[in-house]
Amino acid sequence: MLGAVFVIGLIAMLGVVYVATARDLTARSDRILHATAQRLLQVPADQLPDRIRYELRRDRAGFNYLSLVAADGTLVVGNVRLLHPLPPGHPVDAESRSRGPFRLVALRTREGETLLVGRDISLLRDLRHTILETLTVSGLLTLLCVAAAAIGFSRAPLRRVRALQRASREIAAGDFSVRMPIAGRHDELDQFATTVNATVEEVGRVVAQVKGATDAIAHDLRTPLTRVRATLNALHHRPHDATEVAAGIRQATADLDLVLERFAALLRISELEAGRRRAGFRSVDLGKLVAQVAELYEPLAEDRAITLSLATRSWSVEGDDKLLFEALSNLLDNAIKFGRPGGRVEIALIEDERGDAIEVRDDGPGIPPEERDAVLRRFHRGQGVQEIAGSGLGLSVVVAILHLHGLRLDLSDAQPGLCVRISLPRRE
Amino acid sequence: MAAILVIEDDDATAAAIIAELERHGHDASRAADGDTGLDLATREAFDAITLDRMLPGLDGLTLVARLRERHITIPVLMLSALSDVDERIAGLRAGGDDYLTKPFDFAEMAMRVEVLLRRREQAEAVVLRGGGIECDLVRRTVKVDGEPTRLLHMEFRLLEFLMRNQGEVMTRRIIFERVWGYYFDPGANLISVHIARLRKKIDRPGRPSPIQTVKGEGYLFEG
Repeated sequence: MLGAVFVIGLIAMLGVVYVATARDLTARSDRILHATAQRLLQVPADQLPDRIRYELRRDRAGFNYLSLVAADGTLVVGNVRLLHPLPPGHPVDAESRSRGPFRLVALRTREGETLLVGRDISLLRDLRHTILETLTVSGLLTLLCVAAAAIGFSRAPLRRVRALQRASREIAAGDFSVRMPIAGRHDELDQFATTVNATVEEVGRVVAQVKGATDAIAHDLRTPLTRVRATLNALHHRPHDATEVAAGIRQATADLDLVLERFAALLRISELEAGRRRAGFRSVDLGKLVAQVAELYEPLAEDRAITLSLATRSWSVEGDDKLLFEALSNLLDNAIKFGRPGGRVEIALIEDERGDAIEVRDDGPGIPPEERDAVLRRFHRGQGVQEIAGSGLGLSVVVAILHLHGLRLDLSDAQPGLCVRISLPRRE
Repeated sequence: MAAILVIEDDDATAAAIIAELERHGHDASRAADGDTGLDLATREAFDAITLDRMLPGLDGLTLVARLRERHITIPVLMLSALSDVDERIAGLRAGGDDYLTKPFDFAEMAMRVEVLLRRREQAEAVVLRGGGIECDLVRRTVKVDGEPTRLLHMEFRLLEFLMRNQGEVMTRRIIFERVWGYYFDPGANLISVHIARLRKKIDRPGRPSPIQTVKGEGYLFEG
């Protein structure tokens, strides 16, 4: 379509150039004819035949045509004769059998004779032909070049589209390490590929996370379930006395409770991560909430001879107070559980150069830097804490709750002990 | 003995619920679908209902809403496999009195039914008495052996809840739900330290504490 428009345009343009050039050449030739004729008309009538003879003699190349025709049509002098009468003043093309094409104009003299002035135009014709040929050849060359360029240009994007198709097929087949090729031209295809790559990256991350979580779930649910199965199997196949049976059932029930607890926590995390609860967000006074959590846990701290200190100030966020209470409870519970008996635990709402934050600090063994990321993952339990009860999902629930509120959680060294910091992510 | 209607489509679960309620000395009847359940609840006098959230025919939410529309105020314990907090809120908003997520501990289910039955009996109670303790719900004062004892706000609520459910074992989870109003697991020790604090204030030397610990289950107020 575009090609056809281009070809028509090109032909039209070359045509216009040719016609304009040809007209211009003819017009120049006609001006010379008129000038010559006017010059001859100035010559007195009695001298005109001699002047014509003189002019014809001087024209050795035989380039000019000159004649004087009497009113009765007889040739007075000259080398051209009219077969048909010519309208005076309008140059016309004519053809001589022996000398080729020429252009001729007829003018009337004051004496009623006709002066014929002509010029050979074979050179002009040749020039017109040359121009036509040049234009045609250059037109064809342009067409060829444009066609070649068009094919080249359309094949490059086609190649890129094919490469994109290949990549998308590989991604669809489940390989999330594949990325759409980016040519670096910042065009629409590049923008498209960049968007798709970002999506693939996110999907890949989620899939990896789900797989990690699934593996962890499989492991951590399978372990107690296998124990339950073994206990029930033993009860079924071997004779036992009543106390053994009761102990076995108690053990199996406890294991199943652990499974259910983990299951419930996982469901809660997925519910939180789905983010549906944001609809019910209201302004929550974190200062008040922190005080309530501290009040709830104060007896537990006292029981472990831990000094629980509280520092609050005003900080309100949009959120769900029950969920935030749960997250803070979990953190304080951990601090008291994993802190040093007889030590200190501090929950404080602070404002420092990094902004508003809630910090929960203990002076227990802390978490080694290399393990800090891992404890935020599902089911992870720190080294040497196996004897302390818990599903291992507590911090994952906390992270999910904070994530829902757009808050972040950072673990750092409280020297000694652990410092857990809840804050708004910095606005870059 | 109370008459309890069990609306549950799963046979095994229904049988287990009925067995547990009968073990607690109640008389349990069963409806296997929503329409039968609504019909029975409307025609016969029950003291409480356990209601499955997902039922063939009329679903649990609609059923409880219909009951409330007809001004039938029988306490309803909703049982559901949907653990979503929004589902719990929906269940309570439709008119359920309590909400328990499947799979549940049958003893806890029975305990929650007891709580509902008692709440109905004691709705108008002004003073709770037992174990030498007098708990005035209007003045919010406590007397131990006739001697005024100062309790903190949450301590008072904890004592009130245990006394309202005298003779019944209450798990730490239901205590946390009913006294503090939170629906997450507070961990093994939190409730026990609060109970220990309360005991320090209401126990008197020379006689056993009215609040007994039932190992592995929960706490029991014995008057």
